[in-house]
Amino acid sequence: MTELFGERELRAICDKALKASEGDGAEAVVVTRSAALTRFANAAIHQNVVSREAELRLRVVRGTRVATVTTDRLDDEGIRRAAKDASDLAQLTPENPTFGGLPSDRALLPAPSAYVERTAQATPMDRARAAKQLCDAARAAALTAAGYVSTNVQELAIASSLGVWAYAPATTSDAELAAIGDAGSAFAQRIALDFGALDVAGCAREAVEKAKAAQRPRDLAPGAHEVVLEPYAVRDIVSFLGGQLTGNSVEEGRSFVIGKLGTKVTGDITLVDDPFDPNGLPRAFDLEGQPSERVTLIEHGIARAVVYDSGTAYRTKQRNTGHALPANPSQPAAPMHLRLEPGDRTREQLIRDTKRGVLVTRFWYTRWVHQLRTIVTGMTRDGTFAIVDGEIAYPVKNFRFTQSYHDALGGTLGIGSDLALLVPGEQFGLQVSSYRVPALRLASFNFTGATQY
Amino acid sequence: MLGSVERDLAHRTLDTARSRGASYADVRFVRRAVEDAVVKNGHLDSVDRSEIFGFSVRAIADGAWGFAASPILTATEADRVAALAVEVARASAITKREEARLAAVKPATATYTTPIEIDPWKMRFEDRVKLLIDADAAMKHAQPSLRTTRASYEIWREEKLFVSSEGADIAQTLYETGASIAAESVGEGEQQIRTYPGSGGRSQNTAGWEYALKWDFVQHAPRIADEAVALLTAKQCPQDIRTSIILSSNQLMLQCHESCGHPIELDRALGTEAAFAGTSFLTPDRLGSFRYGSEHVNIAIDSTRKGGLGTFGYDDEGVPATEGWAVKDGIFVGYLMSRETAAALGTVSNGTVRADGWSRLPMIRMTNVSVMPGSAGTLEDLIADTDDGIYMDTNRSWSIDDKRLNFQFGTQIGWEIKNGKRGAMLRNPTYTGITPEFWGSCDAVCSESEWTMWGTPNCGKGQPGQVGHTGHGAAPARFRNVQVGVVK
Repeated sequence: MTELFGERELRAICDKALKASEGDGAEAVVVTRSAALTRFANAAIHQNVVSREAELRLRVVRGTRVATVTTDRLDDEGIRRAAKDASDLAQLTPENPTFGGLPSDRALLPAPSAYVERTAQATPMDRARAAKQLCDAARAAALTAAGYVSTNVQELAIASSLGVWAYAPATTSDAELAAIGDAGSAFAQRIALDFGALDVAGCAREAVEKAKAAQRPRDLAPGAHEVVLEPYAVRDIVSFLGGQLTGNSVEEGRSFVIGKLGTKVTGDITLVDDPFDPNGLPRAFDLEGQPSERVTLIEHGIARAVVYDSGTAYRTKQRNTGHALPANPSQPAAPMHLRLEPGDRTREQLIRDTKRGVLVTRFWYTRWVHQLRTIVTGMTRDGTFAIVDGEIAYPVKNFRFTQSYHDALGGTLGIGSDLALLVPGEQFGLQVSSYRVPALRLASFNFTGATQY
Repeated sequence: MLGSVERDLAHRTLDTARSRGASYADVRFVRRAVEDAVVKNGHLDSVDRSEIFGFSVRAIADGAWGFAASPILTATEADRVAALAVEVARASAITKREEARLAAVKPATATYTTPIEIDPWKMRFEDRVKLLIDADAAMKHAQPSLRTTRASYEIWREEKLFVSSEGADIAQTLYETGASIAAESVGEGEQQIRTYPGSGGRSQNTAGWEYALKWDFVQHAPRIADEAVALLTAKQCPQDIRTSIILSSNQLMLQCHESCGHPIELDRALGTEAAFAGTSFLTPDRLGSFRYGSEHVNIAIDSTRKGGLGTFGYDDEGVPATEGWAVKDGIFVGYLMSRETAAALGTVSNGTVRADGWSRLPMIRMTNVSVMPGSAGTLEDLIADTDDGIYMDTNRSWSIDDKRLNFQFGTQIGWEIKNGKRGAMLRNPTYTGITPEFWGSCDAVCSESEWTMWGTPNCGKGQPGQVGHTGHGAAPARFRNVQVGVVK
């Protein structure tokens, strides 16, 4: 069970930090999180953890000299020390003429709440029972089980000497199951802000039924295959492409939309970053406390926009869209609430529409091969099947692919009507991103190799 | 080094855990200080300093595991966290299929500190930043057309105290230093990168600032800048051919990390990472007999070797640092083990368990898993000994399946080898293979003089996610009949 620090206490911490800072300006970001994760493998809980963390991240500005100090000592002495350290460090740093200053106070639009008390009240036994439900379902089908059940509570508070104040608590709960047989496995995941609404039974059913069909995979020759991608795999594509739809990627010359805004870059898909999506993980502001805008990135295949933080917007003379991540040098901004708009086909219809193809449950170990061309390599995993004459015909051994992701979307043949909410693990120490994505049917996906299982 | 205040709290925590019913418990206090700085395009883009301090309790109760952690260092909180760890363990027990067991270890009372020459925390900040500014300027001066130049460092100090209900009491202070430069070019419809001395983020060692100085960035910056620009118009790596490849030391170290270091993790082999990191083709029935590679392949597990990111006095279960083999003369002979997984094999732990800070559960992590040198002389000797092939240098892309069999790597740069001589520069080189077949095709490893201890400070594993720091020594090596080229 988790008690929030609450807006008043986090405001007090921020105010103390700002007051103790010297210089021309300061920004205080406080993140608190209570993370509980009950992990199981071989159908038994083997790692079961609960941790509570709270950190203050203080950015102090002196002219164009900037320094950031992070501490988890949130008593008066700890805050004072962090403020002094950041203030002293900022004095020692060289001027950075590309720094445009801290962003000013701007009004935030109301966003739906992402906090559900029932999730914060979940106990170790609640999570263990859910884990047992997943393990038991697998064992009942003569399979073993690996995965986890987690509940997370976090608060994010941002204040600055320019009057910025933003606060939002959030919760998530997550059930993940890999159902594993002697010769094949399958994966399913469910995420809900409300632990009471977490579809543990649906997660178990999906993984177990698919795992039963996944045993004894056959060889299928690599090559260019038509594919139906489950939402888990689609999330990977959206994540990689979303990371390129930023002002920083354009500035550094590695985005596939450079010089192509207003032109067709994919098939008929629409990709939106929507911080106000009530079915996502909504939050009205970014990690600089700036109002996050709903941005249509790709509209019916036409590149429309990229997102900005204050620094990149300043350097490139664009408008800040409110998509800052915690200040960092490699990825200052990102779309954090990506939604690939649904189509009109059920998952089953997408499969039925496929004469010959491959059904992919999820991708694994995906890495850039060439960012500018959005070429990614990775493996399929946990449930890969041949589709023949509109039916899932037989399981196949996992493929390696090497594929331009935006080129793959160029061959979009069908879009699923149901969106799955998927949330990646912590980034920068908190859950900042969510995805809502459908299944997709694509005309061609370049499988460049295969493994032995 | 952490001392009596933390020790007193640790003993109170253990007392509470025992009184609540724990049959075993350990407590770790960790205070970690990190400073990162990045110079980008001539300006200090960011400096970020952090100090994080907290503790965690790991407990066995009712034969199952629990874990709880907190940054609040008070007696009341120690009691709460200890009780919570036991409560969590009791919840775990509802799915228990066998009792949690730990292989025996002699409880140690000890201290350990990383040997360093220059304490980076006692230097002037301006002197650290100057290294970056000078290196960045040298790249830009050599090639003004570069789109992005970056130079970065990280310094790290971690103070740890481990106290167990078995009587262990171990205090350690570990130092790390890492640094790198990167040059990025854009043009001709291409985007290319060169980094030095390693790939991606940075190479890092358990060392002081002497490690940052040893790479002489200003001297190497023009070459890195020139190569980044030359790659824009370099010849494309051939497609879909099989040929001999020579991998640079820093590429071979990542090949080792991915295709040997991970599959020898015994937790993976026993299935406890199955849903996320995956399992391993190196199953226990293959231990001692499976031919992993050719007779030229010797891969050590060594947490005692100076400089490695997996070098320490004791692991996070209180097991002392050890030396051993993963692969000897090509045969798979050893795992990375924890006390629990070692017990499952009926042996003792070789001390490879570490946690990412105070808030994460200790788990098996690579220590220093290194390809040991052979007798092929220098890199130039090896190239001279190769009639036809490709030399590939510095990682750009890496991927491997969840049993660690099918891999594909890309490097930043390559060169043709023709008649024993380095020829044309190649862009976008990639190679792919199946792990034991690939290592089985190794017919030469360069000698000790070419061997470098590299460090990867960004190894992901576990749920919730943990970032591990692992060490890998390697020298250039040659592999025959490898499939090359997938990017057109």
